[in-house]
Amino acid sequence: MSAVARLLSSHKPGPERLRVLSASGQLGYGIAAESFERGLARRPHVIGCDMGSIDPGPYYLGSGQMAAPQAMVRRDLERVLCAARALDVPLLIGSAGTAGAGPHLQATLALLREVAQTHQLSLRVATVTSDLPSDMLVQALQDGRLHALDEATPGAGLPDAQAVRSCSHIVAQCGSHTFMQALRLKPDVLIAGRSCDTAIFAALPMMLGYDPGLALHMAKIIECTSLCCEPGGRDAMLAQLGEHDFVLESMNPALRATPASVAAHALYEQADPWQVDEPEGTLDLRQARYEALDERRTRVSGARFSPRPAPTLKVEGAARVGSRAVLMAGVADPGLIALLPQALREVDKRAHQLLPGAWQMVPHLYGQGAVRPLPAEQRSSHEVGLVLEFLAPEMELARTAAAVFKQNLLHFGYPGRLSTGGNLAFAFTPSECEAHESYRFVLYHLLEGVDPDQVFVVDAQDWSWQKEAA
Amino acid sequence: MSSLGAPTPTALKHLASVVRSKNAGPLCLTVDLFFRDRPAYERAIASSGLSADSVAWLYGVQAEQVRRFDLPEILAIKLAMPRALCVGDPGDGDVYGAQQHAPLLEVLL
Repeated sequence: MSAVARLLSSHKPGPERLRVLSASGQLGYGIAAESFERGLARRPHVIGCDMGSIDPGPYYLGSGQMAAPQAMVRRDLERVLCAARALDVPLLIGSAGTAGAGPHLQATLALLREVAQTHQLSLRVATVTSDLPSDMLVQALQDGRLHALDEATPGAGLPDAQAVRSCSHIVAQCGSHTFMQALRLKPDVLIAGRSCDTAIFAALPMMLGYDPGLALHMAKIIECTSLCCEPGGRDAMLAQLGEHDFVLESMNPALRATPASVAAHALYEQADPWQVDEPEGTLDLRQARYEALDERRTRVSGARFSPRPAPTLKVEGAARVGSRAVLMAGVADPGLIALLPQALREVDKRAHQLLPGAWQMVPHLYGQGAVRPLPAEQRSSHEVGLVLEFLAPEMELARTAAAVFKQNLLHFGYPGRLSTGGNLAFAFTPSECEAHESYRFVLYHLLEGVDPDQVFVVDAQDWSWQKEAA
Repeated sequence: MSSLGAPTPTALKHLASVVRSKNAGPLCLTVDLFFRDRPAYERAIASSGLSADSVAWLYGVQAEQVRRFDLPEILAIKLAMPRALCVGDPGDGDVYGAQQHAPLLEVLL
């Protein structure tokens, strides 16, 4: 009997609480071993990990690359898989490989398989594929079923069909419903492409009969492991879910889950502190109550879930902008600093005359408002860091543009120039670097009028290994 | 430091225990302000320094684009507003939105 089958047949809401262990909020960046071991000693019924996020920008979705280093991903997978198999409890992983598109899911699955083979662990693995064909989005666009998240936000308008088709990957965040569909395949391990963080931790409790409001609120908090504590951390977090409330406890004894720290966490990365939108409905936190059980544990109750009549899916799509080369240099001459925007425009013009082609320079002037616009009096007059991006259809052109621009800026004769030795200070040479491909988000929208069972592909595979003779 | 409630304006950084910014999705920036104690919180919510108009001016957005939530139970104010650029678009200088709290630190309350 698989781990999910065993749990579904042996546990129901009652005197024994469901113990949910969140092992990692960012699988692939290391799992603190001692805290995780303490969590295992509490004999969790299920272990969950979130692996993805849209935080690191459009590159990962667009390119199909993982943000976390592969060796660390393998190490973390080894830790959680071996633990889950030793306890014979389900292991649930969401948003595989950072962005949760096909290549991310396949790469994560391949590493998991490697670990399973190394340890001769036979298991049943369910998968959720979260990729959408661009035709589905183009059709939705034509039918008026694709919406901006916030209609009032500028730039949040709808892309045209051509832009949608230019996306290298399009995914939708699957919700608890889809996780449940995958769990019905009775796996030991569930690994999903792009997922709502909540689905990872809420779906199984909901299948077991726990209140959806409580399950989703618990999931929302523990998907970041111990970030909801004082002080915040990345250590494993245990939630004990009952019929009327859940209790939160960090597996690092130095971290305290207090009513204030847990309530404050509801604000994190959320535009609205009261409302969390899920594909299947809305979680309302207005009535949530947080009470200290002791100085390290908080009891939470009161969240309500209202299902919506038809599901909506959050879709994400990224398209390639071009190849990127970067030039880094410092400027210390106040005369040039004062003229910098004009100097860059002039050099840009010259460089485009010298090197025709579809390349573009995007300046980041550190000390002059590169991070956010700075009023004139706050801009540095004694030192500026230049990070100049060169974007072009091919890397060869981007790199060439960076080199041509560098040399022309180095010797640019601006009015009043005293320093004829050169305008730039290089910390190292070559000072122009190839900096990957550039992608941008084309889609970050709501999709209506689709059946999640038609969008997400749920599947399972059995892995077993021939034991080698000793 | 002067006592709270004194008539002299005090910079937000002296009244808050946490001032953090982060993206809430690629199109939205959110800022969370947690205050040291109730008098500090009361002072903040009563001040014009954190009005939608003031925040809009600091961030170069329209006042009606600024959403503000007052959370007395946890002595916090949450602000949400559109980002100037979608995360990672060419020219974006803060992919995570994690350093956009800075202009609020010196706001006088």
